[in-house]
Amino acid sequence: MKYVLLGILAVCAGATVAMAVQQKPQVVEIFVERFSFTPSEFRVKAGAPVEIRLRSDDTDHGFRIVGTDVNVTIPKRGKGVATVTFVPPEPGKYVFECSKLCGAGHSFMRGTLIAE
Amino acid sequence: MTKHGALPLAACLVLTLLMAADVGAQTTPAAPAAPPPERTTAISGYMDFHFNKQEFADGRLDFHRFVLLITHRFSDRIRFVSELELEHALVEGLEEAGELELEQAYVDFLLSRRFNVRAGMMLVPVGIINERHEPPTYYGVERPFVDTVIVPTTWFEVGAGVHGELGRGWRYRAYVMSPLNAREFSAEEGLSGGRQKGSDTNIGRPAVTGRLEYVGVPGLTVGASFWTGRSGFEFRPRFDVPVKLGEADVRYSRDRLELRGQFAQVAISNAGLLNDAMGRAVGVDPNVASALRGFYGEAGYRVISGASYGDVGLFARYENFDTQFKMPTDYLPLKELDRDALVFGATYWPDPDIALKVDYANVRSRNSTIREPNSFNIGLGWWL
Repeated sequence: MKYVLLGILAVCAGATVAMAVQQKPQVVEIFVERFSFTPSEFRVKAGAPVEIRLRSDDTDHGFRIVGTDVNVTIPKRGKGVATVTFVPPEPGKYVFECSKLCGAGHSFMRGTLIAE
Repeated sequence: MTKHGALPLAACLVLTLLMAADVGAQTTPAAPAAPPPERTTAISGYMDFHFNKQEFADGRLDFHRFVLLITHRFSDRIRFVSELELEHALVEGLEEAGELELEQAYVDFLLSRRFNVRAGMMLVPVGIINERHEPPTYYGVERPFVDTVIVPTTWFEVGAGVHGELGRGWRYRAYVMSPLNAREFSAEEGLSGGRQKGSDTNIGRPAVTGRLEYVGVPGLTVGASFWTGRSGFEFRPRFDVPVKLGEADVRYSRDRLELRGQFAQVAISNAGLLNDAMGRAVGVDPNVASALRGFYGEAGYRVISGASYGDVGLFARYENFDTQFKMPTDYLPLKELDRDALVFGATYWPDPDIALKVDYANVRSRNSTIREPNSFNIGLGWWL
């Protein structure tokens, strides 16, 4: 009986580790400044979480993925990093943009997340 | 614009409106929990006021710029952007006393990543400063001399055009706009007076401008721009004054360091005819050159970064600018307009959106008898 319980525990532990490894999010770091995201295009796996880390080099910007409820403020230079976790439900292109008016060229701040 | 020029533009705009009318989400497919497209209006702006003390003159205190930006999102595909600027705090009907300028007012139709259309009053996509001129974004109280007498910032005109991203960090814009008016060119300030500024402009022969830009490496922007147009429309009998401007620039920032450089050259064809015609009209030959050239290099370094009380940066910029770089046949250049400048100083950012600046500009010309005044400047600028 003891060996059976140990076996079950071992299987559970293995499954948990496997799930954790499987669910470990992809990480994308984006440099943000007036008036660009770099990179402005990146590829991730559809259905898997992606952790997007955004750091501004100047003022505070916004990061909005069009058509989703993702919309966060990116702090000003030296004030930290904005982190967004997003799970693209299906393969496709997801447009993102700056959602906080940041200057004369604000409308150039757009990019594309490609889920494959 | 001629009938032949206006019809394709009108057809293009109608087609754009039809394409942009689909206000559905641009993601494919739509993600869950997608909120409906928001119709939002945003207001922001910046201000800039200066103390300037030139050699041999009393100091001047000037509220140089008060700028309001108003944007509106009709849908995820249609936006309105505007920028209204009051210069020198007061408008009395004369430019020297102040100006109220509509620098941007356009509608942007966002069709795809690669191809979008905009129309209205737009910034000319030339150089570093013209499209990126919020005071905390650049060192120095005043904009670079090259961005004043060679590239006439802030340069804006009415027109229509396309823009988009090509992938791998490349992006572009290309516009058809009102041309410059050669009748207002001058020896000292080059093209600056020739901007029509969207006010009941002559567009018999539209100008074309464009920019190709690379932003694929964090902190790096490399760009090249051009402008070409015919500017002699006010003269009778009419003659052409083709104007061509070519420009290249680079900007790089990493941690505390920021480097930037820019080169611009202007060619004015038939400058001799232009001088003759203007001389006959007003009695004074303006001595407009057939080529203008300017370049600068700048290095800035934040000696204090991330402190609780803010950042402090030091900078130095060398500029060379000549509005008489090449003269038409039988004209001699005015050597006092072949100038260079060393500008150095400091910026204190108590907040990333507030910049307190101090600098000293040492200006020299090739004329040994006419001395350019040096200047000491203090500025306070901020972005809301």
